[in-house]
Amino acid sequence: MDLASDLADIVGERLSCSSAELYCYSCDASQVRGRPEYVVRPKDRDEVSRIMALAFEKRVPVTPRGAGTGLAGGAVPLKGGIVLDLSSMDRILEIDCSCRQVLVEPGVVRDRLNLALLPSGLFFPPDPGSSAMCSIGGLLANNGSGMHCVKYGTTRDYALDLEIVLADGSVIHTGSQVLKSSAGYDLTRLFIGSEGTLGVITAARLSVVPLPKARRLVLAAFRSPEEAGLAVNRVLSAGIVPAACEILDRTTVEVLHRCDPHLALPTADLILFEADGEPTAVLDEAARIEEVCLQSAISIDTASEAAEMEEVWAARRLVGAAVSRLDPKKTRIYVGEDVGVPVGMMHVLIRRVQEISEDAGIPAMKYGHIGDGNLHVALFVDLSDEAEVERAKLAAHRIHLAALDLGGTVSAEHGVGRARSSYMRLQWGGALDVMRAIKRALDPRGILNPGKLDLGSGTDCDTADAGAGL
Amino acid sequence: MIDPRAVSGCVRCGTCRSVCPVFQETGWESSGARGKMLVLKSMTEGANLDSGCRDSLGTCTTCALCTQICPAAVRPTGLIEEGRRDLVLANVTRQEHRRLNRNLLRYGNTFGDGRDRLGWLGEEKEMLPKSADFVYFAGCVNSYRYPETAKKTFQILSRFSVTAMPKEMCCGSPLLRTGFDAGFLREANLEQMEAMGARAIITGCAGCYTALKGYGGLEVYSVPEFLNQRLEELDIQPLDLTVCYHDPCHLGRHQGVYDPPRRILEAICSLVEMKASREKARCCGGGGGVRAAYPELSQKIARRRLLDVPAEADAIVTACPLCVRNLRDAGGNAIDLIDLVSRALPPSL
Ligand SMILES: Cc1cc2nc3c(=O)[nH]c(=O)nc-3n(C[C@H](O)[C@H](O)[C@H](O)COP(=O)(O)OP(=O)(O)OC[C@H]3O[C@@H](n4cnc5c(N)ncnc54)[C@H](O)[C@@H]3O)c2cc1C
Ligand code: SF4
Ligand code: SF4
Repeated sequence: MDLASDLADIVGERLSCSSAELYCYSCDASQVRGRPEYVVRPKDRDEVSRIMALAFEKRVPVTPRGAGTGLAGGAVPLKGGIVLDLSSMDRILEIDCSCRQVLVEPGVVRDRLNLALLPSGLFFPPDPGSSAMCSIGGLLANNGSGMHCVKYGTTRDYALDLEIVLADGSVIHTGSQVLKSSAGYDLTRLFIGSEGTLGVITAARLSVVPLPKARRLVLAAFRSPEEAGLAVNRVLSAGIVPAACEILDRTTVEVLHRCDPHLALPTADLILFEADGEPTAVLDEAARIEEVCLQSAISIDTASEAAEMEEVWAARRLVGAAVSRLDPKKTRIYVGEDVGVPVGMMHVLIRRVQEISEDAGIPAMKYGHIGDGNLHVALFVDLSDEAEVERAKLAAHRIHLAALDLGGTVSAEHGVGRARSSYMRLQWGGALDVMRAIKRALDPRGILNPGKLDLGSGTDCDTADAGAGL
Repeated sequence: MIDPRAVSGCVRCGTCRSVCPVFQETGWESSGARGKMLVLKSMTEGANLDSGCRDSLGTCTTCALCTQICPAAVRPTGLIEEGRRDLVLANVTRQEHRRLNRNLLRYGNTFGDGRDRLGWLGEEKEMLPKSADFVYFAGCVNSYRYPETAKKTFQILSRFSVTAMPKEMCCGSPLLRTGFDAGFLREANLEQMEAMGARAIITGCAGCYTALKGYGGLEVYSVPEFLNQRLEELDIQPLDLTVCYHDPCHLGRHQGVYDPPRRILEAICSLVEMKASREKARCCGGGGGVRAAYPELSQKIARRRLLDVPAEADAIVTACPLCVRNLRDAGGNAIDLIDLVSRALPPSL
C-alpha cells in the first residue's frame, strides 16, 4: 500500500493531496517555502501516534503545524513529506478553577481559551499579536509571548505538563498537575521552544491566573525612539514592574492612524505603559511611571476606560501586518523582525537599526516589547523590485548581527525555524552540538520537522531532500 | 484577471482565517480566506486550474468578514470574485453554477422558472403605473419563492409613488458572484428604468442591492432605508414581540446599512442583538453561490449562525430573502422585515 492509503486508513477524509491544498500548506507568515506531499488533520492523540509510527517506519518527514501564523517558517515542510495540521484538535478538556489549571488540546486558539476562562475570572497571560488566530500548540512550540510578558513572563512560565507523541509514535508526559517538582530533568521546558523538532504536543496542562481588577494605560510621547528607550530604562530601574511596556515609533503610529484615523495617539515615538492590579496600586504605579517619564517626554496621556484601552491594544496587536496602509505598493516582509537584547541595551539597538535601515534605503517601522528587550522591525518593500528585496534581506542580516553583538538573540519570541537557522552556531557556539545530540536521541531518523534550527546532523530526513526547498 | 499586486499585499497573517465562516466548518486551509488568497497567488503564478482551485474559490459566501478585518487592507472578497472569473473563462466551474448561468440566459431568473415573474402581483399587474418616481425591484427569490413578501412590500411601497418593472430580470448578482458575465441582465434592467423615467430603484434583497448599486448611475435604496425615511408616515402599531436582527452581508458589511432596519424594528417591537452583529455579524451561508453548489456547507454555516440567536428572541428578522431561506432551512424562525412591518400596520393597508 502507498503512504496515502495508509494515512487515509488513519484519518479518513482528513487527508489531502490536492495541489491547491498542498500549495496552501507550503508557507506560514514568513518568507520560507516548502511543499508537502500530504496534509493530514488528526482529531486526537491516537491518530497522531499512529501517523508518527507510520512515518517513523517509512522514514517520512513530518512537520507539525498549528495555525500557520509563525514568522520563521517553523511549520513549513522543507523536506516534503507530511504536514500534521493540529488545528482541528481544539477541545478545551478541563477548566479547574480551584487549582487554576486548564487542560487543552494543541489546536485551541489562544483567544478562545481566554474567552472560555472569562466567566471564571481567570486568564492565560501570553498575548501575542496573533492571539485571535494562533494555536496554543504553536505558542508552546515557539515559546511565544506578547505584550504583557514584561510582568507575566512567556508561555514557558505557564506549562505544567505536556503530552508528547515522540518520533516513533510513543506517548510521554513531561510533567503533572503539581506546581513544583524536583524529580528528574525538566522535559517540559525542553519541548517548549523546540519548534516541532523533538515531538508533537497533543495536550497541555497550563496554569492560569486571576484577571487583574484594574488597568491603566500611560502613553508617553518622546522626540526620538532612543529617548523613549532611555525612559524605559529609568522606569524599570525605579523598581516599577509595568504589566506592559511597548514601543511604537513614529512610523508605527502613522500606520495605526491609517488603520483608524480616530485613534487617540499623538504622532511621536511612543511608549505604552500599562499598570494593572488592585485599583489603588494601579493609580499609584501609573503616577510613578508618569513622574519618571516627565523628565524627557513631550507629552503624557492616560486612559483607564476599558473600551479606550482595548481600542489601542487592538490596533497595536495587528500593526505588524498593516504597513501596506502606508504605501499600498509595499508589503511587509518578516525578516530580522524579532531580535532581543538585554533591556538596558535597547536604546543602542534602536539606534543601530535606524542606521541599518537608512543605509539600505528601506523604510522600517520599529515597535515591540521594549520592556523585555524585544524589538520588532518591520521592513517594507516592493516585492516586484528584486534589488530592494535583496537589500532588505541584507539589512535583516545586519540587524541579527547587531543583536548578537549586544549580547542578544536573533529571536525573542517568533522562533528560529528556517528563517534564522543560519545564526544558530553564531548564537550558541558549542551548545548547538548539545542540541543536536538531544535531537539525535529523540528523533534518530530525523523525521520531525527536518531542516529547522540547524539541527541537521546526518540523520535520514535532514540530509535527504524530498523535493521541496526554499 | 487577478491583479498579482493586490494578491501579494497579503502577508499571510491569518487574521481572516479566524473569522472565515467556511474555514470554521471545513478546517482546511484552502477553504479559509487566507488559503483562498494563496490559491489566487498560485493562479497568478500559473498553477493548473483544477477542481482544487475551483472548490477553494467556489466555497466563498462573499460575506466580506475577511475584507472587513484584514489589517493589511487586502480585499479577499473582490479578489476571489476576480479569480472566479478566470476559472469561468477556463471552464473550470461547478455544474450547479453553469446551470444558474443557463437559467439566467434562458429565463432571466436563477430558478429557470418559466412562469410570469410578476405573478406575485396577481391582477394588480394590469394596473401597474407605467411611470413613477420609484421602481420596486423584487428580485428572483422573492418573485418565485416568497411571492407574498414581494406583494406585501409592493403594497406598502405603493403609498409612495412606486411601480414595478414590466419585464424585471434578475439583477445579475448570482452571475457576478460566481464569475460569469451579467452585462445582459444589467442592460435589460437599465433600459426599462430609463424608459420608465424613474428616479430611483428600491429592493428588498441584499444581493440585488449590491448588484444594482454596481450598475452605476442608479439611485438605489434598500427597503429598510426607504421605509426608515418614511417611518412617521407609516402609522406603525407596536407589537408585543421581541426579535433579533440578522445583518445580511450584502446590506451590512458590503453597503454599510446597519441602522435603518434597526430603527424600524425598534418602532415596532423590542430588538435584541445577536451574539455577533453589525460589522461582525456572521454569515447565513447562503451567498456567493455556496447554497447552490455546496448545500451541506451552506447549511452548516447557517446552523452556526443560529447559535447567535438570543434566547429571548421570538424571531430572527432580516432584510434579504436568501438569508430568510437559508436560516429557515437550518431550522431558524427567520422572517423578512416586511412581514413584521405589514403586521404592524393598520388593517386598512
Ligand atoms: C500578525 C502577527 C502577529 C504576531 N505577534 C506575535 C507576538 O506578539 N508574539 C509572538 O510570540 N508571536 C507572534 N506572532 C508569531 C506567531 O503567531 C507565533 O509564533 C505563534 O506561536 C505561532 O502559532 P501557530 O499556531 O500559528 O503555529 P505555527 O506557525 O503553525 O507553528 C509554529 C511552530 O510550532 C510548531 N508546532 C505547532 N503546533 C505544534 C504542536 N502541537 N506540537 C509540536 N510542534 C508544533 C510548528 O512545527 C512550528 O515550528 C505573530 C504572528 C503574526 C502573523
Ligand atoms: S487578513 Fe489580510 S493579510 Fe492577513 S492573511 Fe488574510 S488577506 Fe492576508
Ligand atoms: S468573504 Fe467570507 S467566506 Fe469568503 S473568504 Fe472571506 S470570510 Fe471566507
